[in-house]
Amino acid sequence: MNWDFRTCPYTGLKVDKNADALMKVNAVVATVALLIGGLSAIGVLLTRWQAIHLFDAAWFYRLLTIHGMNMLIFFILFFEMAILYFASAVLLNSRVAAPKAGWVGFGLMLLGTILIEWMMFAGRADVLFTSYVPLRADPNFYLGVIFFAVGALTVVIQFFATLVIAKREKTYEGSVPLVTFGAATAAIIAVITLGHGAAVYIPTYLWSLGLMEMDAQIYRLVWWGLGHSSQQINVAAMVSVWYLLGAFTVGAVVINEKISRTAFVLYVLFISMASAHHLLVDPGMGPAWKVWNTSYAMYLAVLASMIHGFTVPAGIEVGQRLRGMTKGTFEWFRRAPWGDPGFSSLILSIIIFGFLGGITGVTFGTEQINIIAHNTLRIPGHFHATVVGGTALAFMGLTYYVIPLVFRKKVAFFPLAKMQPYIFAIGMTIFSIAMTFVGTFGVPRRHWDITFANSPFDLQFAPAVDLLLGVMGIGGLIAALGGGIYILITVWSVFLGTPMEGESA
Amino acid sequence: MPADGIPKGLTDPPAPLPPDIGEGTEEQTKATGTLILVFVFLAAFVVYYFVNWKLLSALWRIG
Amino acid sequence: MHTGLESPKGIWWKPAHKAEKLWVIIAFVWCMVLFAMMPLWHVRGAQNPSGIRAKVDPEAFLARTQEFIRTYQVGTDGGLPVVAPPPGSHVYMMAMQFSWTPVLRLQAGAEYTLHLSALDVNHGFSLFPMNINFQIVPGYDYGLTVTPTEAGEFKVICNEFCGIGHHLMLGKIEVVDGPVTQGGGS
Repeated sequence: MNWDFRTCPYTGLKVDKNADALMKVNAVVATVALLIGGLSAIGVLLTRWQAIHLFDAAWFYRLLTIHGMNMLIFFILFFEMAILYFASAVLLNSRVAAPKAGWVGFGLMLLGTILIEWMMFAGRADVLFTSYVPLRADPNFYLGVIFFAVGALTVVIQFFATLVIAKREKTYEGSVPLVTFGAATAAIIAVITLGHGAAVYIPTYLWSLGLMEMDAQIYRLVWWGLGHSSQQINVAAMVSVWYLLGAFTVGAVVINEKISRTAFVLYVLFISMASAHHLLVDPGMGPAWKVWNTSYAMYLAVLASMIHGFTVPAGIEVGQRLRGMTKGTFEWFRRAPWGDPGFSSLILSIIIFGFLGGITGVTFGTEQINIIAHNTLRIPGHFHATVVGGTALAFMGLTYYVIPLVFRKKVAFFPLAKMQPYIFAIGMTIFSIAMTFVGTFGVPRRHWDITFANSPFDLQFAPAVDLLLGVMGIGGLIAALGGGIYILITVWSVFLGTPMEGESA
Repeated sequence: MPADGIPKGLTDPPAPLPPDIGEGTEEQTKATGTLILVFVFLAAFVVYYFVNWKLLSALWRIG
Repeated sequence: MHTGLESPKGIWWKPAHKAEKLWVIIAFVWCMVLFAMMPLWHVRGAQNPSGIRAKVDPEAFLARTQEFIRTYQVGTDGGLPVVAPPPGSHVYMMAMQFSWTPVLRLQAGAEYTLHLSALDVNHGFSLFPMNINFQIVPGYDYGLTVTPTEAGEFKVICNEFCGIGHHLMLGKIEVVDGPVTQGGGS
């Protein structure tokens, strides 16, 4: 078998050209999904901003579905598939185990994506991201999800196969790097996620064809086994990217492999059960089930996040101190490369994920406190901080390294690229804080008209609500600007950018 | 001087550590800065968490 | 000392960094506090989402609610029946596309068992301005014991997407001081 490798001029790693190709296509599709998700985000935002109320009810709920699916499924998972190839084949100097399988997986994911997009845009799947039964979409919507999931599972299995082959062919010495270990935990959680996905979407598909009954509570229970676990994939992937960016930007060290690895393992062990925190005010389960499954389970996963929340910055601090920055308590922080968008994304991602996302999430995931949070805007306020301000921002930072390393192009509009993480982070911070705060007034999520025109009764929210929704709108638009700049830079760099020295156009 | 369009981590990568660094000195491997930051985080967490219990306690009795 | 991109050399199972150990212990203690607060609030706190829970056929819940309305109706409001049940009774409110029925008139300080269910799809019970929220699932009866603390006019928002008329759903719960007048009259 003749494997075609190139040697990376920066890292010295041997890169299988199949890995290059597969990383590229996944990254490109991820970016297209981000664009669709971002445009629909603007549509949703300008509609919830009551003074503007841009779209009618049907299109609002439709765009909300499109936004959720494109961001939480298509953008993030295609990007994570690219990360899996990097963490296995590239980091371990190995060949991709079965490139054809990689293409089949990609093809299935793409087929599923197109089918779902078609159903959503045609108005045949106005059921929102969670598609709660008995709300019913066109059967092809569920079929698309199944195709996507099977494709993703293929890529995940390929990841494990590549790890096995790399070990067997001794392409690296010792244990795998921590980034690979973290990616592996993300991949394991992906298997758990996809298992729940099959368990819920196959029966739901059959139900949509009229072939079987579905219990609404059981759907929610199993769906959130998929739904929350999928978010934990994002957490594990984000944390792996934190270690990766730390290494690239400041030579951050792993201060203790044992602790970091154990923290990753805790994610795997305790995450599926912790999905219970989505069901804390549901009628189908009792308090014992709720308290046990949201706490003992979640709190060890929370501990894991708090551990990484220490080890990642500590690794940066020690990495800097080992290079001479030992003056005072924060010289390592002040003299860090804030102009490197990989570094600024890293730090901002940690701060937003931890302070805004983590604190609100764990608080709302308390059985009783959930009573004052469930289905209010506090919930999307929380998860935009974690997934967007946290994971997506980290992925954006990584992209500024992917462009020269994988696509071998220079980053276009580089001065703008340096500002982009700050713009996006500031926008997301304002958006998330405003949204979480306005939710405490009881403003509902997933709602087209909080003036309740045409309702049997009147309802007036406190005047502060209008102000906060306006602030939220401004924050969201700033974030959309940051996202738009990111897409502009990446698309321009990849398709129209200057090749790196020594590369042909 | 970083080449434009390539992030600093590639054009001006972090200096390699001397091979005899071993475990590093006390001064080099302390993480006081990080410890302060995580304590600030924990303080924010504790405050936000208990404020929410307080908000909850103002509601109707529910059981 | 190595980065996250490099393979660790030799044995990586080593004692933890001092500051790291301190933080892990503190974080673990905090996690235990997070856990302990929940059973504690069940014992000492006044707001818990326990309820009396049962599976119920939507048809049966509809019938039970209609009987409840027949027994205690005192008038109409916003096109919906207003019911004034006695303190301590089982009270019913059903969610459907796209309304909350009936309007409840309750007495401040009195305890009721509020049975919530949906006839068709998921709905979200959100009491304004208290910000009390529960998931309402078809096929399940959530019987929450509630004691309104003071008089006022409260609205019920639906905060789970239930279809194109989701944002039209608005119910009402009135809480009055002193005994509610029951039966007859308008």
